[in-house]
Amino acid sequence: MRLRVIALLCAAVVSACSSTTTTSSSSTSSSGQTIKIGVDLPVSGADASIGIPTQNGAVMAIDEANKNGFGGGKFTLAASLLDDAVQGKHDPAAGAQNVKTFISDNSVLGMIGPFNSNVAVAEIPLTNDAGLVQISPSNTNDGLTIGAAAKTLRSSKPDQNAYFRVCTRDSSQGLALAQFTKKLGPTSAFIIDDNETYGKGLADSYEAAYTKLGGKVLGHEHITANQQDFKALLTKIKSFSPGIVFFGGNTSTGGGLLRRQMGDVGMSAVPFIGGDGISDPEFETTAGPMANGTYFSVAAPDATRLGSAKTFVADYKERFKSDVGGYSANAYAATKIIIAAIQKAIDEDGGKMPTREQVLKNVAGTKNFATPIGEITFDANGDTTSPVLTLQKVSGGKVITVDVITVKN
Amino acid sequence: MDVFLQQLVNGLSLGGIYALIALGYTMVYGIIELINFAHGDIYTLGTFFSLAVLTLLGVSGEVHGPALIGIVALTIAIAMLLCGITGVLIERLAYRRLRNAPRLAPLITAIGMSFILENIMQYWKGPSPIPFPQVIPNPTLHVGPVDIAAKQILVVVLAIAMMITLQLFIYRTKLGKAMRATAQDRDAAQLMGININTTIALTFLIGSALAGAAGFVSGVYYGSTWFFNGFSAGLKAFTAAVLGGIGNLAGAMLGGFLIGLIESLTTQFISDQWANVVVFSVLVLVLIFRPAGLLGESLPNKV
Repeated sequence: MRLRVIALLCAAVVSACSSTTTTSSSSTSSSGQTIKIGVDLPVSGADASIGIPTQNGAVMAIDEANKNGFGGGKFTLAASLLDDAVQGKHDPAAGAQNVKTFISDNSVLGMIGPFNSNVAVAEIPLTNDAGLVQISPSNTNDGLTIGAAAKTLRSSKPDQNAYFRVCTRDSSQGLALAQFTKKLGPTSAFIIDDNETYGKGLADSYEAAYTKLGGKVLGHEHITANQQDFKALLTKIKSFSPGIVFFGGNTSTGGGLLRRQMGDVGMSAVPFIGGDGISDPEFETTAGPMANGTYFSVAAPDATRLGSAKTFVADYKERFKSDVGGYSANAYAATKIIIAAIQKAIDEDGGKMPTREQVLKNVAGTKNFATPIGEITFDANGDTTSPVLTLQKVSGGKVITVDVITVKN
Repeated sequence: MDVFLQQLVNGLSLGGIYALIALGYTMVYGIIELINFAHGDIYTLGTFFSLAVLTLLGVSGEVHGPALIGIVALTIAIAMLLCGITGVLIERLAYRRLRNAPRLAPLITAIGMSFILENIMQYWKGPSPIPFPQVIPNPTLHVGPVDIAAKQILVVVLAIAMMITLQLFIYRTKLGKAMRATAQDRDAAQLMGININTTIALTFLIGSALAGAAGFVSGVYYGSTWFFNGFSAGLKAFTAAVLGGIGNLAGAMLGGFLIGLIESLTTQFISDQWANVVVFSVLVLVLIFRPAGLLGESLPNKV
């Protein structure tokens, strides 16, 4: 009987911890009818340091549109901001719940987000079914737009695609990281991932690309959620003497602690490389002094180094009193695309409230749309035709850009 | 072979952390048969209190010489005291009234307390990971082919020392005797003139103070913490307590070390993602053949 109580308890705890907490706020203005753009990003917990600057990018685009006479005075744009982090971490169930909130609100004509690929997997079937246009600033998993996985996500309306993204795919990111590893010098790599949609996808594409380029992959391990101690894993990896350690995943799913504990097992000299998931400031806080010698990609161009983003970077700094995040410009660009699509629908329809269908059609037809991160054209899958990514390095406690690469999908 | 020995060291030190938390779990269970789910969060709170003390003292890096002993002793003492008080308060406010309620009521309350503490900590220090200063110098000893960090020795020694002290306290002192009497039969103990409320409060004080000490050690050991840390650590420590025989101090320590070792050896010889699977499979097997845990006595069924 005692045993049964214990088993029951374990179940109770596990289910109790999947409860959802979301915060919502919206800025409303006085003139005319309100059109909302939903923004679903992780803005609390370990993901907040990268989620909030991304949200800021979207908010800025909406505010600018209102200031510049959006809808000819008949409409006002508002952001509906929701958080998909639960207990400090991005959560697919919370993301899906947020999307349902957007869908049930008729004034929401499009949405920005999510930030994480596994959240996108939970959201795409919903937006696809409802015909609500969705643009992610940062999802990189291949299966969201191409292949059999994407087909499954769109199975309720196979002919309709409501999901778009302005960043590059993991196959491109993995390839770029593999090419960069080769350029850096190491001839062998050990691969770790966090077993999430994004992390595993990126690690697999890196592994394939690196092997193709002649690199030796010594092993591929998956870590588990909420793991804190990596000494055993790193001791094992050390015995392989890899030239570099690759991590597919986020800071919040173990990236920072892994790098920190590489110091504890005497692997300080081995470089660490990962995707955009570890490109947030939180990584440096968690890894401490060990953050030095880490390389990562950002699936977006470095806005501070782009001529086209100069005004954006300056405006952002003035408005939010902080530097732009890795995906602020992406979110800004994505929001601009939706706003333009809504504006076009209003103009075409003689000032009537546009439908979601019209907005979706206009977003899908986006061609050579000028944004701070360059001109954006969507292909039939919802990917951009010429994505750019940035390679950065932590050195002396600072993040420096080492390379900006344009990939052809 | 070298790697095997190194993994034993890793496993023992990880197990030491589990053992430190499991001791408090098992003490509370031993006396009122309540699985105190807030215990893992009190442990995290210990890290937070230690961090606050260190910040007040202006310590942000390694300290050497006599100052080190002073600072570490003071930090641990304050963290233990504050955690102990928190534990007593939780018992007084939430659990005492439910002492004679159906068993599920205090259990759910304990889960609720856990959420409350987590959210207080999230409000206090924010939801992001927080770096913890590396107070203790961490030279690495090279014993043959194995590297042992000073921090790892600290964890293991502390776990064993705490277990022995507690064991002595419970079996050699009058208060310990009162605790055992309360655990055995609350009403009879009361009839013999033992103040039940004080004795139970004392158990919470000691158990939570232990979690406070474990919190400091974990901060130093991992160099970072966050508000949600106690959840998974608490679950593992709870597993350790059950594996060793819940209510039994030596069992809690044994369980902690065993889980640490199973995790590191599974990681080495199978794969990291299977570590939890193997840990819980071992737990299930042990409970099938020894339902009271490895060192647990089979008491008459009270549930």
